[in-house]
Amino acid sequence: MSIKTLEKVRKRLEERPEELKRAREDGRKVVGWVGYNVPEEIIHALGFIPVRIAVGGDDRLVEVGARYASSKTCVFIREIVGAFAENQDPFIQQTDFLAFDATCLQNYRAAEVIEYFFKKDVVVLGVPRNFDWDEAKQYFAHEANEFTRLLEERAEAPLDASRLAESVALYNDIRKTLKSIYVFQAAKDNVISWEEVYDLIQAGELLDKQEYLSLLQQTLAELQELQQNPVIEGDDGNSRLFISGSLIPRGDRKLIGIIKSVGGRIVGDDLWSGILPHLDLDIKEISPAGVALAYLNRTPHAALPYLDLASDKRLKKLHELLSESKAQGVIYHTLRYCDPFTFKAKETKNVLAKSGIPLLEIHTEYAGSDYEAMKTRVEAFVEMIKIKSEITEEEGVLADA
Amino acid sequence: MGKQLFRYSEEHKEKFLESENITFNDGSVVTSEEIWHYLTVEGPKKYPGSFEVNLYQGNRNSRDETLPTSLKTHYLGLTFSDRMEKAKDRGKSIAFIQGGQAVDPYTAADTIALRPGLVNQWNRDLVHGNDINKEFLRRKELKEKAFHDMSFEACQTGGYEHIQAGNLRVDVIAPFTVLRCSDVSYGVEAHRHGPNKNVKLINVDYPLRHQADKPWAIEYFAQNLRKLVGTLDEVTGRTTSEEDLLASIKLHNEGRRLGTELSELWWSTDVPPTNSADRASLVGLGNLDNHGDVRASLSVLKEAKKFIAERVKNGVKGHAVPDNPKRIFILGSCVGINTARSEDSGAIVVGKDDQWSHCSTLVEEEGDPFYNLAKYTLEYPYEQSIEKRAQWTIEQIKKSRADGVIFIHNWGCNTQAAVARPILDVIKREIGIPTYIQERDLHGLQHEQEQNRVNAFIEML
Ligand code: SF4
Ligand code: SF4
Repeated sequence: MSIKTLEKVRKRLEERPEELKRAREDGRKVVGWVGYNVPEEIIHALGFIPVRIAVGGDDRLVEVGARYASSKTCVFIREIVGAFAENQDPFIQQTDFLAFDATCLQNYRAAEVIEYFFKKDVVVLGVPRNFDWDEAKQYFAHEANEFTRLLEERAEAPLDASRLAESVALYNDIRKTLKSIYVFQAAKDNVISWEEVYDLIQAGELLDKQEYLSLLQQTLAELQELQQNPVIEGDDGNSRLFISGSLIPRGDRKLIGIIKSVGGRIVGDDLWSGILPHLDLDIKEISPAGVALAYLNRTPHAALPYLDLASDKRLKKLHELLSESKAQGVIYHTLRYCDPFTFKAKETKNVLAKSGIPLLEIHTEYAGSDYEAMKTRVEAFVEMIKIKSEITEEEGVLADA
Repeated sequence: MGKQLFRYSEEHKEKFLESENITFNDGSVVTSEEIWHYLTVEGPKKYPGSFEVNLYQGNRNSRDETLPTSLKTHYLGLTFSDRMEKAKDRGKSIAFIQGGQAVDPYTAADTIALRPGLVNQWNRDLVHGNDINKEFLRRKELKEKAFHDMSFEACQTGGYEHIQAGNLRVDVIAPFTVLRCSDVSYGVEAHRHGPNKNVKLINVDYPLRHQADKPWAIEYFAQNLRKLVGTLDEVTGRTTSEEDLLASIKLHNEGRRLGTELSELWWSTDVPPTNSADRASLVGLGNLDNHGDVRASLSVLKEAKKFIAERVKNGVKGHAVPDNPKRIFILGSCVGINTARSEDSGAIVVGKDDQWSHCSTLVEEEGDPFYNLAKYTLEYPYEQSIEKRAQWTIEQIKKSRADGVIFIHNWGCNTQAAVARPILDVIKREIGIPTYIQERDLHGLQHEQEQNRVNAFIEML
């Protein structure tokens, strides 16, 4: 069974670079954004076309990037830098200027390096590390205003409040529809897979937002027709896995492919290239600061340290999503030199162990050389979860008897 | 085979005894006689590693014995661990901080601020009688614990191995974070799952991107400093006032002023008045944070000016400095090249951006001390954008008349590694001097391969 709209989305993605080119010929500007707390609605409301620059999976580009940003920078950023160096990516080619944030210091360094070597016009949004302090929120509100001012300069027009309200409404609708779609992939007898939803989420990073919303609504309508009442059940005979950790951008499907190939079923994620950035984004005030603060108030990115384990929102959210998706195990993906996530791997494992949820850390890069080793580990993990759930099932039967 | 050990020679004793005593924070005084005794009797027994002739570790078989400052910094280094233990026994509060930051707010709050290297040193010297290799193995073992609990890709572990996996008596983890280092904030965060629940944690959040030009960023950092002082006060039970901070700023400004004067004096002559290591320790003294005792550093620093001025006037060359050495400027965080071996190969290190960055400017003394300190901190040349940092570096290279530049960084240090090439690129573009990037092995001993590259570079110069 296939969802017809997904085919349409794939086609529109292929056509998108050409479309961007034409839009630029008509005087529109394309903003490539990179980061984790870039308030996209502001870019959109100023009449720019936002596209997220998040590519991965190409070891050759990683090597190119290392020449500029060192081999000690995370794999993802190295590839981004490499992609700018080569300038072959059809979306990068169409960017007029770039918007970065300083959530992760490596992301910030990428902004500096790309600005320096490739002479790109870069706007950077500062992000506070003590994000839960009132003082930090004030600082961030100022940063959001400054970010807007720099964008206004480039738009040669001020930000219009009603346009911002329209953009916020549009993005809110996108987020709401995505959430509704997401439930279907985790359901019993699912008619859409997590992989398909994941691709759909990432398509939204590139497509026109209005059109994207309509494509999402069509997808949802199709899903509702095929499966009126999606029910998430934990004991559906699959190894229900949840993916967490460093982002998995377009172009990088190594781990996801491996999980599938060994019979694991992904039913949820808290990846910054997946559903997480679309959750809990509650814009209370239509202003640059209002939008930006709503971004900061979501589940914090791992690059923002939080010093009290018991009240950590990231771990709380992870638990919540695990229970919603009824996942039985977590594959924690860490990219080479991605400190924000690697530093937390052991801790996350220990915290989840208390709730009886096993975690497998897969530390990897974009080279294919570790494919077999990864596969063996993931396979063993999937097997272990299957056995565990069979035992639990048997115990259940015995208890019932 | 026994290890060859260095000993201070009696022939310099008399001259050394003429030098001044050292006065410490608590008002105690150690006489030059006592220092000499320690360096020649007690020290070699307790810390043979420090007296081991091991060029691979930068320890020669001879030192600048006619420069009393050199002996005194050695003394302060050797007694450091014991002094920290005594300070703790007296109830003094100790904070873990980041390298590359000034310590004014900690001094104001009556707290000893120790950067990562000093915390390692404190822990290392708790054990007596070790040679260099034993010390190294012990350090490696400890670090493994932190890697196990965090990430094997960590360079900076926030002192976790000593404070959580070990029992070093640090009260508060309170570094300026994201300043030059990404690892440190994750290191601080890791303490939240450690067994030592008594240790307080605070990230002093250093905002980025044109931070010094943004009044709201300065204000935010000033608020961070206020909260830092509040946290330090929770440990000590005292209340630090704005007057206390101003007094501390004035004290540290005195150190920075002297450190800058000394560096400029050193640069003013063609004949290097000290070797590379002694030059670097002058900057460390200027920051008053190198020995866990601000007053002791200041008293050694004040006296140093006299000795250096005398050498410059008389054209006296520092010990083991080669004739017409090739002058090297070092960039990058937390590590440096093996200066002794590099001197043997015909070079001298004339400057390093790390440490010098926060020594070379002063804090404004009029007005709100928190705001002034915040502004000064956000202006650290080392923390500016690529072009700005490079321009400042070029000025220092010119002042120090360096012939070549090496950017060195630790394995796993993403933040510095990422900007190494662009910064050197600007330097080459503007002044055309030779440069290269060196990566330090992961917590390794200083390796032959690294020195081979340094030597080749010196030869090329
Ligand atoms: S969070 Fe990880 S993958 Fe993302 S930019 Fe930072 S280091 Fe790279
Ligand atoms: S070398 Fe780099 S990562 Fe390590 S402590 Fe220094 S700044 Fe941090």
